[in-house]
Amino acid sequence: MASTSRGDALALPRVTCPNHPDAILVEDYRAGDMICPECGLVVGDRVIDVGSEWRTFSNEKALKDPSRVGDAQNPLLNGGDLTTMISKGTGAASFDEFGNSKYQNRRTMSSSDRAMLNAFKEISTMADRINLPRNIIDRTNNLFKQVYEQKSLKGRANDAIASACLYIACRQEGVPRTFKEICAVSRISKKEIGRCFKLILKALETSVDLITTGDFMSRFCSNLGLPKQVQMAATFIARKAVELDLVPGRSPISVAAAAIYMASQASAEKKTQKEIGDIAGVADVTIRQSYRLIYPRAAELFPPDFKFDTPVDKLPQL
Amino acid sequence: MDESALERYFDDSIADDSSFILGEGLGIQSHAHPTQGSTPSLSMKAGSGTEPGDDLDLSFLPDDLSSQVEPGRHNMADSQTAALNVSQDSGIFTDFNSQDSTAADSQQGAPPSVPVPSPFCPMTPMTPMTPMTPVTERSGIIPQLQNIVSTVNLGCPLDLKFIALQARNAEYNPKRFAAVIMRIREPRTTALIFSSGKMVCTGAKSEEQSRLAARKYARVVQKLGFPARFLDFKIQNMVASCDVCFPIRLEGLVLTHQQFSSYEPELFPGLIYRMVKPRIVLLIFVSGKVVLTVVC
Repeated sequence: MASTSRGDALALPRVTCPNHPDAILVEDYRAGDMICPECGLVVGDRVIDVGSEWRTFSNEKALKDPSRVGDAQNPLLNGGDLTTMISKGTGAASFDEFGNSKYQNRRTMSSSDRAMLNAFKEISTMADRINLPRNIIDRTNNLFKQVYEQKSLKGRANDAIASACLYIACRQEGVPRTFKEICAVSRISKKEIGRCFKLILKALETSVDLITTGDFMSRFCSNLGLPKQVQMAATFIARKAVELDLVPGRSPISVAAAAIYMASQASAEKKTQKEIGDIAGVADVTIRQSYRLIYPRAAELFPPDFKFDTPVDKLPQL
Repeated sequence: MDESALERYFDDSIADDSSFILGEGLGIQSHAHPTQGSTPSLSMKAGSGTEPGDDLDLSFLPDDLSSQVEPGRHNMADSQTAALNVSQDSGIFTDFNSQDSTAADSQQGAPPSVPVPSPFCPMTPMTPMTPMTPVTERSGIIPQLQNIVSTVNLGCPLDLKFIALQARNAEYNPKRFAAVIMRIREPRTTALIFSSGKMVCTGAKSEEQSRLAARKYARVVQKLGFPARFLDFKIQNMVASCDVCFPIRLEGLVLTHQQFSSYEPELFPGLIYRMVKPRIVLLIFVSGKVVLTVVC
């Protein structure tokens, strides 16, 4: 089926119809032609098909993989890896007299990119542990590539930079993860990730938005198994508490945790401070401190349409 | 003139018989006799230099400023925001120089904590560099110096074991750290003395006190028999703190001054403001306390 393609924009020797040089050529890759839409002239033929391999080999027990193409190219991240790798030989001719295989050149693919590929693999592993979507992984890879090429953070462990890039990517996508959550999937300490985070922001000359309490509500509440009503109430409470400046100087995570505690205690699904602390990564004394600050004005903090299982005056007072 | 006057003061306070000449590194070789007037003024200066150490407190300003705060609170908040608006583009701060509040100070009689140009050697930066700003923006808040770190080269290799055994108030644990840690009570400071002859002096509350303390340490080393000199005295780091007396909304500050501020509540509860001119790092807290630090 004929289809328009953007290949013309990138084509190096631009083929154009001799009669209509401004016309954008239409690619027909059933026949491998490029056709002028104005007059129907076939301008270029035998175009290379850049679509994906459509033959699938699911049940092949054959040793060789008859797929004619390799991995999808990773152009943005790899510097256009067009090298050729020599595979392990089959047959007797590929072994020399001692039994060693000739043409042993399999190892050196691209030493400068090797560290970057390792880092991408690590990023992918980390992101997979907390089920991050593809867009965050791509953004993380891009950030890592930028940092790596700049070489300003060359002395730092690549894993630390990768973890910090993951943190920044989550922030930039509007779904921040706490440092402790990133720590949980990385082998690097929170301190080191924090240091690398600040260094990367300086190196790339970007900044990130400040975290708010609402960013974490849906994740914490669903991890605790709280119903939507409670989550909405907790979001409202936390936002109101910050607006009324009842919790100056408290980390938004702690305020969120305290709000969840208050909302869950007022509903049928009561959660203990310890449970919330485990999920949010804050100590239960921290939740207690923030809760003490918001407790005096609890009545105003709840949303107006909230259905109380436990009335406001019966909320636990710690 | 000033160097030998200090020497004289030193001799008076430590009662040393020998008369070494320290201060060759500063290029002042004068042996001129100081006038009688300068010595008492020097001792007074050195004596008064210790007073701020007693008065200094993190949490409250001198009494007369608290009376200014009540009627002037609004003004301070306005001037603060006005100052912030002014500095938005270039990060220049308003002048908190003590010379502005000499009226306040003279009531108390306490010497300004930010000292006036020192009579000592001008080769080392003794005067704090502060830009001048119009009178309307001054808020009367004076940061109090809390710590000064300085280094000096004694100019000769030292035997740390000998020093640790002979000197009082010296500790030396070569397995832990390769320097002698010596402390003196007046000014209350700690010095790290290395075997190369270089020394780090920390804990002083003003530049002059730091220099005085360094000289005292050099004198101690000298009395132990080493040909100590006093080369390249340089202040490396100064830390001061102050209180603006009103709560600060850090989220608002980081929104307006994004390129200078770094506020990560998960990492540190304070906002880190890196001012460009003058190059000062401020730690700003919600309570209104501000810590300023500068690398000289």
